[in-house]
Amino acid sequence: MLVVVCIKQVPDTTQVQIDPVTNTLVREGIPFIVNPYDTHALEEALRLKDRFGFRVAAISMGPPNAEATLKKALALGVDEAILLSDRAFGGADTLATSRVLSEAIDRLNRQEQVGIVICGKQTIDGDTAQVGPGIATRLGYTQLTLVDRVEKFDPFQGRITVRRKLEGRHETVEAPLPVLLTVVRELNRPRYPTVPMRLESEQATVQVWSNQELQLDQNGIGLKGSPTWVSRIFSPQREKGEIVGDGVADPAGAAHLLVDKLVSRDLLVV
Amino acid sequence: MSEAKVGVKRPRGKARLIEGRCIACGGRCESACPVDAVEMSGSGEPEIVVAQCIGCVKCVKVCPAQALEVVFTEEEKRILEQLARESGADAEDGDPEARALAAKLAAYRGVWVFVEQTEGEPARVSWELMGKGRELADTLGVPLSAVVIGSHVEELCYHSFCYGADQAYLVDEPVFRHYRTEAYLKAVCRLIENYQPEIVLMGATGLGRDLAGAVATVVGTGLTADCTGLGIDDRRNLMQTRPAFGGNIMATIMCDKFRPQMATVRPHVMPLPERVEGKSGPVIRVASGVKEEEMLTKVLAVVSDRNRDHVDVAGAEFIVSGGRGMMGKENFVLLQELADELGGVVGASRSAVDAGWMPHERQVGQTGKTVRPKIYIACGISGAIQHLVGMQDSDLIIAINRDPDAPIFEVAHLGIVGDLFQVVPALTERLRSLKQKAPETAACSNG
Amino acid sequence: MSPNPQLFLLLLILSASAFVIGCYRRFSLVALGRPEDRLDAPGTRFARMLRLAFGQQRVLGKPFGMNHFVIFWSFIILAAANAEFVVSGVLPQAGLAALPAPLQHALLFLFDLVSLAALVCVLIAFARRLFFAEPSLSSDYVKARSPEALLILSLIAVLMLAYFGLHAARIMIGMEDPTAMPVSAAIAALMAAPLATDPTAVATWSWWLHALALLSFLAYLPQSKHMHILTAIPNCFFAGLERPNTQPREEFARGMRFGAGRVDEFTWKDLFDSFSCTECGRCQEACPAAATGKSLNPRSIIHALKTNLLANGSSLRAGETPTLPLLANASDTGPGEGSAGDDAIWACTTCGACMNACPVLIEHMPKIVKMRRHLVQMRASFPEELSAFFENVEARSNPWGIAPTERTKWHANLPVRPFEQGKTEYLLYVGCAGAFDARQKQVTVALATILDAAGVSWGTLGKEERCCGDSLRRLGNEFVFDRTARDNVKLLAERGVKKIVTQCPHCFTTLKNDYRQYGMELEVVHHSELLAGLLASGQLELKQRVAQFGTVLFHDSCYLGRHNDVYSAPRQVLATTTGASPAEFVRNAERSFCCGAGGGRMWQEEQEGERINLNRVKEALQQKPDTICVSCPYCLTMMEDGLKDLQGGAVRVKDLAEVVVEGLRA
Ligand SMILES: Cc1cc2nc3c(=O)[nH]c(=O)nc-3n(C[C@H](O)[C@H](O)[C@H](O)COP(=O)(O)OP(=O)(O)OC[C@H]3O[C@@H](n4cnc5c(N)ncnc54)[C@H](O)[C@@H]3O)c2cc1C
Ligand SMILES: Cc1cc2nc3c(=O)[nH]c(=O)nc-3n(C[C@H](O)[C@H](O)[C@H](O)COP(=O)(O)OP(=O)(O)OC[C@H]3O[C@@H](n4cnc5c(N)ncnc54)[C@H](O)[C@@H]3O)c2cc1C
Ligand code: SF4
Ligand code: SF4
Repeated sequence: MLVVVCIKQVPDTTQVQIDPVTNTLVREGIPFIVNPYDTHALEEALRLKDRFGFRVAAISMGPPNAEATLKKALALGVDEAILLSDRAFGGADTLATSRVLSEAIDRLNRQEQVGIVICGKQTIDGDTAQVGPGIATRLGYTQLTLVDRVEKFDPFQGRITVRRKLEGRHETVEAPLPVLLTVVRELNRPRYPTVPMRLESEQATVQVWSNQELQLDQNGIGLKGSPTWVSRIFSPQREKGEIVGDGVADPAGAAHLLVDKLVSRDLLVV
Repeated sequence: MSEAKVGVKRPRGKARLIEGRCIACGGRCESACPVDAVEMSGSGEPEIVVAQCIGCVKCVKVCPAQALEVVFTEEEKRILEQLARESGADAEDGDPEARALAAKLAAYRGVWVFVEQTEGEPARVSWELMGKGRELADTLGVPLSAVVIGSHVEELCYHSFCYGADQAYLVDEPVFRHYRTEAYLKAVCRLIENYQPEIVLMGATGLGRDLAGAVATVVGTGLTADCTGLGIDDRRNLMQTRPAFGGNIMATIMCDKFRPQMATVRPHVMPLPERVEGKSGPVIRVASGVKEEEMLTKVLAVVSDRNRDHVDVAGAEFIVSGGRGMMGKENFVLLQELADELGGVVGASRSAVDAGWMPHERQVGQTGKTVRPKIYIACGISGAIQHLVGMQDSDLIIAINRDPDAPIFEVAHLGIVGDLFQVVPALTERLRSLKQKAPETAACSNG
Repeated sequence: MSPNPQLFLLLLILSASAFVIGCYRRFSLVALGRPEDRLDAPGTRFARMLRLAFGQQRVLGKPFGMNHFVIFWSFIILAAANAEFVVSGVLPQAGLAALPAPLQHALLFLFDLVSLAALVCVLIAFARRLFFAEPSLSSDYVKARSPEALLILSLIAVLMLAYFGLHAARIMIGMEDPTAMPVSAAIAALMAAPLATDPTAVATWSWWLHALALLSFLAYLPQSKHMHILTAIPNCFFAGLERPNTQPREEFARGMRFGAGRVDEFTWKDLFDSFSCTECGRCQEACPAAATGKSLNPRSIIHALKTNLLANGSSLRAGETPTLPLLANASDTGPGEGSAGDDAIWACTTCGACMNACPVLIEHMPKIVKMRRHLVQMRASFPEELSAFFENVEARSNPWGIAPTERTKWHANLPVRPFEQGKTEYLLYVGCAGAFDARQKQVTVALATILDAAGVSWGTLGKEERCCGDSLRRLGNEFVFDRTARDNVKLLAERGVKKIVTQCPHCFTTLKNDYRQYGMELEVVHHSELLAGLLASGQLELKQRVAQFGTVLFHDSCYLGRHNDVYSAPRQVLATTTGASPAEFVRNAERSFCCGAGGGRMWQEEQEGERINLNRVKEALQQKPDTICVSCPYCLTMMEDGLKDLQGGAVRVKDLAEVVVEGLRA
C-alpha cells in the first residue's frame, strides 16, 4: 500500500513584515520552508511506514526550487518524492491545485494502490484549508479533516478510526480506506532527520512531473483553471498594544472597559 | 497634427516589476504570459525578459499585488499621447464571449446561508452570516435563503427567519443526524443544482470548511476561504476580503466568471443581527436521495471539550495564565473562575510551576507548551523571552500586570496596569453579569 | 638470601605473566579506538607531565592530597627496594650487598624511613575510607569501602609490615646494621625483649609474606583501578595541550558514522583515559550536575567506558557488534554498569569543572559531547525541548525562532551602525540573547553606550548576523554547527572583519576557538577584556565612581573563566568602576560553579534534582551581596530566576556593562 503526503513549500510568513512607510510586504531575504502543518502530515505517514512497512510518496506542486522541500522529506525517510512543476500549473487557486494533485495521486495509484493521502490542515500562506477536501472529493476518497489523533488503524480490514478536533468538541469517526486526512499540529511531534539520512537525501533524486506526464486540459489547470483570482492586496490595520483604563485607580472600571471592548469587537461572545 | 499617419502602430510598452511589491504568489504572471517573457527567480519574483515582452499587460492584470506595470519610452509616450488626442477610446464592450458569460451567470440568483448545527444546536456564525447575507441580498435585490440540513432540525428554519432569511431549504432526514461530508455534500450539491444560487456562504468553522471545500470541487466553482469582509461590486460580483500570509496581508478575491460564488466566513467577525421574533417564511422541503446504506463513514462519538477531564493547554482556544504574581497556589482559583467563564483553561509560567502552584503540563514557554489560543490572558507574568516564545502567536494577548514596564506589554494587544487581585475578579464578574443580561437564544415561535 | 630461589622464580614467572597478560589485554583494547595525534609538542607535554604526574600538582589541591603524594613517591623510591628484593630473591648473591657500603647504608636508611611514611599514609587512607570517607569517594559502582581499594591498601600495608619484619629479624640475627635502619631497629628491639620471637623464623615468614604481597600486587594491578599507576603518568603526557573548550570537527560523508555510540567509536586516547581514572572522585565533586543530584557523574561516564570496553573487548576484536550497549535508554531501569544513560548525557553543562579537577587530565566533557553527537546525528534522539531549538536555529538562526528581521530592534533608539570594512574597527557581535531577549537588550545598549563614550569605532552585521552555533556544537548537532560555522566564517571574511567584541562568553569562545578549526584567525575579545583595556589606558573615562550597587559579587562564567582563562579582566573593571575589588564566591575563578545553562542546558527543562542555579544563588547569598555581577546572558537569566525563586529580596543581577555604564552618568 502506498501512503501519499502532500507538502507545500511556503514563505516563512512569521518573518514577513509590513514596511511601515510604504505599507507593503517586506519579503527580502525571507526563506522558504515546508508548510508547518505538512511536517505533521509527513510524520504521520512515516509512522505508518514504520509500523506497517508501507511505502510513502511525497508530492508537491510548485516552482522548481520547491525541490528543496522534497529533499527534506527524503531526508526524513519518504521513499519517493515527486515535484509537480510546470509553467502551466502556475497561478492556480485551490480548485486548480487540487486537480493537479489528484491527477498525480491517481497516476501513483495506477502503479501501487494508494490507501491514505495525508495533507496539512492548511498552509500558512494561502491559508485556505481547501486543497485537502478538493483532492478527496475528486478522487472519491473519504475525507477526514482536522485529525488530531489516529485512534485505530487496521490495514487488513482496511479501516481507520480517527479523532477530529472541532470547535469546542472532538469527534471520533471511522471510515474505510482509501481516505484523505488533513491533520492539525497536536497530532504528533515531527521527527528530526539523522545525518546519514540527510546525506543520503542529498544524492536522492526528486522526480519532476510536468503536464507532459499528467496530460491535463490546459483550461482546467493553473491560472486558466482557477475560478478565483486575487484582485487586490493590502495591509491590514495593525493593532498596536493598548493599555485599557486606569487599572491602578479604578481596577473594576478598567476590567469592565476591557470586557466591553472584547465584546464590542466580537472577540468574545457572551 | 497633419503629421499623424494612419496606421501608426500603437506602442505597447514593456512590463516591469515594481520594486518590493511582489508577494511571491506562485507565478501568476509567469503562467499568464503568452510569450514566456516572465521567468521566476529563486526568491519567487518575476524577471521580465524585455526582448521577448510584447506588452500585452496580461501579467499586469493577473498580479494580485499590483506589482507589475507597463512602461513606455519617451518616444512611445509621445506617440500614445498623439493617438489619444486623435481618437476617442474605442469601447471594449460588446464582445460576444462576454455576453454569453453574462447570460450564463444571470441564471444563478439568490443568496444562501448554510445553517450549521451540531445535534440540533445552531452555530452562532450562521446567524452572523444571515445578517451579512441579508445586506448582500438587499444590495442585489434577490431573496435570502437559509439552507438547513440535519435530522429534526425544522425549527432552525424558523430561527433563520427571525434572523432575516426570506425562505428556507430544508433537508431533514435521519441520515443527517451527524455531520458526514459525503452525506452533506450530496445534499448541498443537489440543492445548488436545482435552485442555482449566485452566492453561498458558510461559516469558516471546522465543519464549514470541510463541507465548502468539497462542494466547490463538485460544483466546479471558486471558493474563498475564511473571509472577514464581503461586498458587492458594480457588476454584481461578490468581493471577498480575507487575511492571508498568516494575517500579514489582506486580499480581495473575485470569482466573477463562475457561479455560485462561494465563501466561508470567519466567525465573530460579522455582527450578530438583531433577532426579530415572530417572523416566518416558506420552508422548501427537499429530499436528498442519500441512503444510509451507501454511507461509508460512521461517527462513533462526539465529546464536548467541557466534559473532558484532561486539560490540554496546547490545543485550548482560551487560556488564562498565571505567573509568580499570583503569590500562591490558592489564588489560581481566581484564574480558574475567569477561564470557566470564557470556556478556557488555566496555564502558567515556569515560575508558577516551579513554585508548585501548577503542574508542569500547564507550563507555557520555551521548555513548556507552545500555545496559539484565540485569547491569551497573562496575569502576573513579566514576559521573559522564555515565556513569550510559547504564546506570542496567540490571536489576542491580554496582559494584566502592575508593572507598566514589564516586557509582557510589548507583545500584548490589550493590557491593564494594575493589581491582578482586583482586576481579575472584576473581569469575571463583568462577564457573568453580561451573560445574565444577554438574551437567551430562545426558540422563536413558528408564527 | 632467598629461602627458596626456585620456588620464588616459579611464582615470579606466574605473577609476571599475569601482569603482562593483564596489561596486554587492556592496552590492546585501547588500540581498538580511532586514531588521534597526541605526540605534537613533546617538550611541553613532558614538562606538564613532570608537573602534574610527578609534582602531583592537582592531587595536592585536596586535603588528602599530601597523603597520596607521600604514597606516590614512596612507591617510586621503594620500586628500587623491591627490584632489589626480586633480584636477590632469584639470585641470592646479587642485591644491595653487592653495592659499596656507604651507598648501601644510605639506601637502606632511605627505604626504612620511606616504608614507615608509606605505612602511616596507607593506614590514614584506610581509616579515611572506613571511617570518614567524603561522599565524592563513592559513585554508583565504586564505593569508598570497595573491596578492591581495601585489598590494595592491605597489600601495601602487608608489604611494609613484612619489610620491617624481615629487616628487624635480620638485625636481630646480625645480618644487617641497625644504625642504617632506625625503624627496623626499633622493631627488632621490640621483638627481642618483650616478644622474644625466633628471628630466623620471622625472617623466613616475613620474606615470604613480602614476596607474596609483592607478586600478588603485580598480578592484580592490571585488573584494578590501580592500573592508573601505569597509565596516569603517560596520560598526563598525552592529554590535550589546549584547554578542552572546543570539540574536534567531524567529517561528513555518506556511509560514515558520527559521534560515539559504541566504545570503538572513541579515539584511543579516550579509551586510555578510562584506564587512567583513579576513582578519586574529584570530578564528581566539582560537577554541577552531580552536585545537584542529576544522573550525570563524570566519573561514572569514564567508568562506564572502561567497563563497556572490557565487556565488549573480545567481540569487538572479533569484529562483531558489541553485546553491552554503551548508551542505554533512560526509560530502562537505570543504565546499568558499563552503559551511560541518556539523562546523564543530556545533563552536562559542558562547564569543564570535571576536567579542571581531574589529577590525571582525563577529558570527560568531549566524550559526553561525542555521545551526544551519536544520539543527535545517528538516532535523532534527544530531549523533546531540543526539537524546537534545533529547528529554530536551522530555520531562523536563533534559538527562539524569532524573525531575523527583529535582530536590530535592540537599537531602536540608537542610530543603526553597520560594520563597514576598513572604516569600522570592531564588529560588535550582538548575539542572539543580546538581540532578542528584553533583559539582555539592556546590556547591549549599555555596552554600545560605553563604546561610544570611549570613542571606539564599532558596527554590527545587523539583520545578517546569525547564531554562532555554540549550543548546537555542545549539544552534539555537529552537522548543523558545521554549516553554521562555514557560513559565518565566510560572512566575516567577506565583510573584512578583523576584530570582534562579544558580550556573550558563548559567542566569544565559539568565534575565538571553534572557528579557528575553520581557518578563522581573528582577534576576538569579550567585553570584559575590552572594557578592562579601555579603562586601563584611560580611553574610557568614568564620570563618577559607581556606588549604588553596594557589595558586588562577581560570578565567573565557565566559558569566560575556566574555558578561556579570563579571570582578572572583569575583576579589574569592577575594581576600577566601584573602587573596590568585588566580593568572591567560595567557589570562584577556576573552581567557579556553573549557572546551569551552558552546553545547551539553557534550552532544556531541568527536572532532575535541585536546580543548578538555585545551588549557585544560595552560595551567592552566603556572601550577603547587594548585587551579583555577571558577564554572560545565560548567567544573567539563571541568576535572576534563581533569586526570584529564592525570594532573594533586594539583591540585583547586573551585567558588567550595566555596572560600568552607571559610571558615565554625571
Ligand atoms: C493572498 C492569497 C489568497 C488566496 N486566496 C484563495 C482563496 O480564497 N481561494 C482559493 O481557492 N485560492 C486562494 N489562493 C490561492 C491558493 O493559495 C493556492 O491555490 C494554493 O496553491 C493552495 O492553497 P493553500 O495554500 O491555501 O492550501 P491549503 O488548502 O491551505 O492546503 C492544505 C493542504 O493541502 C496540501 N497542499 C496545498 N497546496 C499544495 C501544493 N501546491 N502541493 C502539495 N500539497 C499542497 C498541503 O498538504 C496543505 O497542507 C490565494 C492565494 C493568495 C496568494
Ligand atoms: C532553561 C529555562 C527554561 C525556561 N522555560 C520557561 C518556560 O517554558 N516558560 C516560562 O514561563 N518561563 C520559562 N523560564 C523562566 C523565565 O526565564 C522566567 O523566569 C519566568 O517566565 C518568569 O515567570 P513570571 O513572569 O511568572 O515571574 P516574574 O518574572 O517574577 O514576574 C512576575 C510578574 O508579576 C507581576 N506582579 C506581581 N504581583 C502582581 C499583582 N498583584 N498584580 C499584577 N501583577 C503582579 C510583577 O510585576 C512581575 O512582572 C525558563 C528559564 C530557563 C532558565
Ligand atoms: S563538564 Fe561540567 S557538567 Fe559536564 S560532566 Fe564535567 S563537571 Fe559535570
Ligand atoms: S576521572 Fe579524574 S577526577 Fe574523576 S575520578 Fe577519575 S581520576 Fe578522579
